[in-house]
Amino acid sequence: MTVRRLRAVRPAEVDERGQEFVAFCGHCGLPPAREVAPQSRVCGHCGLGLVLQAPADVAPRADEPFLVIDSTLSVCAVSAGAEELLGIDETSAVNKHIIDFLVPADANAPSADNLLVLLVAAASGPGEPRTAVVRPREEFGVRFRARIGPCGPPHAALLVLTS
Amino acid sequence: MIMVAMRTLKTSEAAALLNVSPNTLRAWERRFGYPKPQRSAGRHRLYTHGEVAALRDALQQGLSISSAVSRAREALSTDTHTLVGALAGFELDRADSAMEAALALRSVERSVEEVLLPSLDELGTRYGIDSAPWAFAARWADGWLRRAQRLAPPPVRPLAILVGDATRNELDPDALAVRAFELFCGRSGARVMALPVAGVSGLADVIESLSPDAVVIAGSHVADDDVALWAYRVRACAGPLPMALFRRAQHGAKVRTTGARVLPDTPFGAHRHLLAVVDERRAHRFGDLAPAVSVIEDVDDLREAQA
Repeated sequence: MTVRRLRAVRPAEVDERGQEFVAFCGHCGLPPAREVAPQSRVCGHCGLGLVLQAPADVAPRADEPFLVIDSTLSVCAVSAGAEELLGIDETSAVNKHIIDFLVPADANAPSADNLLVLLVAAASGPGEPRTAVVRPREEFGVRFRARIGPCGPPHAALLVLTS
Repeated sequence: MIMVAMRTLKTSEAAALLNVSPNTLRAWERRFGYPKPQRSAGRHRLYTHGEVAALRDALQQGLSISSAVSRAREALSTDTHTLVGALAGFELDRADSAMEAALALRSVERSVEEVLLPSLDELGTRYGIDSAPWAFAARWADGWLRRAQRLAPPPVRPLAILVGDATRNELDPDALAVRAFELFCGRSGARVMALPVAGVSGLADVIESLSPDAVVIAGSHVADDDVALWAYRVRACAGPLPMALFRRAQHGAKVRTTGARVLPDTPFGAHRHLLAVVDERRAHRFGDLAPAVSVIEDVDDLREAQA
């Protein structure tokens, strides 16, 4: 029997534009434990990820796999779900280019919506969430819709893979 | 050579500095291999302050533990760059200072394995092992390791190891690993004696005086036949002893073991493996079931977790 974890994403704070931000662990995706020391960014649930923040409409929902990419397009974090889905280890994926793992899969997308452009824009600062279609590198016939938006601190892009 | 005192932290202290639980710290060690603790005499984890502080700083600006670990490792690797630069520039004082800086952050074992030996490897690759920079660096490193050996605490374990040195000379790339292996064994409290495998006369007197518990043949320069003759003489004088090979295979070639154990290629791994073999043999001899090193570590983990 497969046990699915249920989780509730708690709103963490609202910025000056009224946008709601939520906090989540960069490894397990769960919201931070209440008992976590305020100065610690380490997830109190799994201990293997740092607590990040993202706009509520971008942040990963229950069990959605995700990656965190910086403005140089290097992978900075891979969630446990993404490790499983893409068959990669975070420890070996970190500091490698995102194109080593995911490539654009939507041939009809206009150039402005190019995956890398979206990632750089998201990693540069706040903006509207965007979507793109991606596939694992070296794999054909498998496509994911990706939700892309800003996250941090520090500034980075969050790429959430949805079915 | 000045040995700078290295500041170490217990698991609870390191965890407090990073603001995580001791269990999280142990989970990081398993998943990321960092921070990598040494073991105390009571086999408890001891973290170097420099490593933990580097990780704490990296975590402040990191997006994941993996990226913070990578950044902390990068910060620590500057010692290697400094040592390579000093040796490539033929600056002895700067080379000594680089090792002192490394010792402030790491144990002697890790300073040798993570700074000294990789620096020499890089120089060997960059200039070739028949070059003047290599000769200069290898002589300096050999001298450093021998001085460290002289400064090691006196033997406290009832354990003696005879090393049959099958390297060419101090310019042989394996020779530094062999010196490091001798240093680590000496620092674990064992009596270590190294003799060239080329000499067999008077071996009986040495063996009678040392009463070795294990014999290690180290290096790949001397031919198998000469090594076999030396090993035969040792066995004839000392009886059946655990015999092990360290860095005997040349360029990945298959090595003739004739029943001897092949030790890991790293000096630290080799010394740990050898101590485990000797402990295991002793346990069998005395009818005791002394655990191997890995089992001891598991028990330590449990004890630390319970504490």
